[in-house]
Amino acid sequence: MIAAGPPETRASLNAALQQVAQGDRLAFEEVYRRTSAKLFGVCLRILPDRTQAEEALQEAYLSVWQRAAQFDAARGTAMTWLISLTRNRAIDRLRAGGRHVAAPIEAASDVHDDKPDGLAMAEMAEDERRLAGCMGGLEARDAVFLRTAFFDGASYPELAERSGLPLATLKSRIRRALLKLRDCLA
Amino acid sequence: MNDEDELLAAELAFGLIAGEERRAAEARADIDPPFADAVARWQAHAAALVGAGEAPRPSIWAAIEARLPANDTAPRRDSGRWRTVAIAASLLAGVMTVVAVERRPATPPPAVRLAPAPPLVAMLSGAPGKGVVAVSFDPRARRLTFAATAFDPGRHSAELWVIPADKKPRSLGVIDTTAPRTELSRGDAAAAVAPGVTLAVSIEPIGGSPTGLPTGPVVLSGTVQKS
Repeated sequence: MIAAGPPETRASLNAALQQVAQGDRLAFEEVYRRTSAKLFGVCLRILPDRTQAEEALQEAYLSVWQRAAQFDAARGTAMTWLISLTRNRAIDRLRAGGRHVAAPIEAASDVHDDKPDGLAMAEMAEDERRLAGCMGGLEARDAVFLRTAFFDGASYPELAERSGLPLATLKSRIRRALLKLRDCLA
Repeated sequence: MNDEDELLAAELAFGLIAGEERRAAEARADIDPPFADAVARWQAHAAALVGAGEAPRPSIWAAIEARLPANDTAPRRDSGRWRTVAIAASLLAGVMTVVAVERRPATPPPAVRLAPAPPLVAMLSGAPGKGVVAVSFDPRARRLTFAATAFDPGRHSAELWVIPADKKPRSLGVIDTTAPRTELSRGDAAAAVAPGVTLAVSIEPIGGSPTGLPTGPVVLSGTVQKS
């Protein structure tokens, strides 16, 4: 399991979320205090403006309050669960907002995936650093596809449309990249 | 795990599949534990794409708090940390043995301190074998201590109510049935706790009653007395 912080921090966030499942409002406040910056970051990357990001963040935490009992500490960390939940709420809101013009994804030669520099890498948490390192081993375009899928909620057909690649070609590329990522992260 | 399943888990986690295909993968995760583990692993990988983020404005927390289902009668304004677990000495002595059940090994054991004897107590019980909840209340400090024994509300919350002479239940909040706790209580509910008054525990949806009144069965009750 990928760590999201030192073991003692992870364990106590897991425990706090489990307390939220019992209706503990102070634990809920603690979860908010410790995770709201990151979850707001998720919303800001997914939604086009700040107001919507703020709304999505509120909806996410209300979902956290209602569904905390669904968190299974044996399966993953609280932070991963929170990020997944928040991403889902934000993508729902993005889709509900009606037509949003999705930018094309450039041809291979033009693609530049933002790789973090040495200093940025040093400041990252261990799991982020590992992933960034492994993403760096992919072709830039494939890394862009994966980020776009995650932050734009763009599934295979949308990625194919935006990149101009045939669907089958695109799927094949991305699956190869995912297997490469798996091998790197293992 | 074979490549096909690994890829499906990754595709689900990254949001690469949608519609019926996604629903089918989610349904599979519900019933196939190794697959669910793979999905969780890939969700953790994908989550590592998210950087440090940015702190939201303070008013966002206030808005969230305001939208939580109300199980307090008075709004909380301070976020003082009163996370101490205290068991009233008079509550324990000669009344019952409280078993603090550690359900989650990752949680550090509660620090048990003996607090000064509180003036009001109640033993809440119901059908035999259903467990008991011992409650003590210090009206001066507005400190409510509860300890549940052999009482498990399952996938629900247990909510504590005070029912004074006017027969209208007022919530004292959701109680933690896994470990003894002390809380501060405020507002009408706390003010109503007095000798002779009934306290009761009802089974509610997780997080407590959404309506401000009991919506589930009352399973335990008792009368407040001076200790």
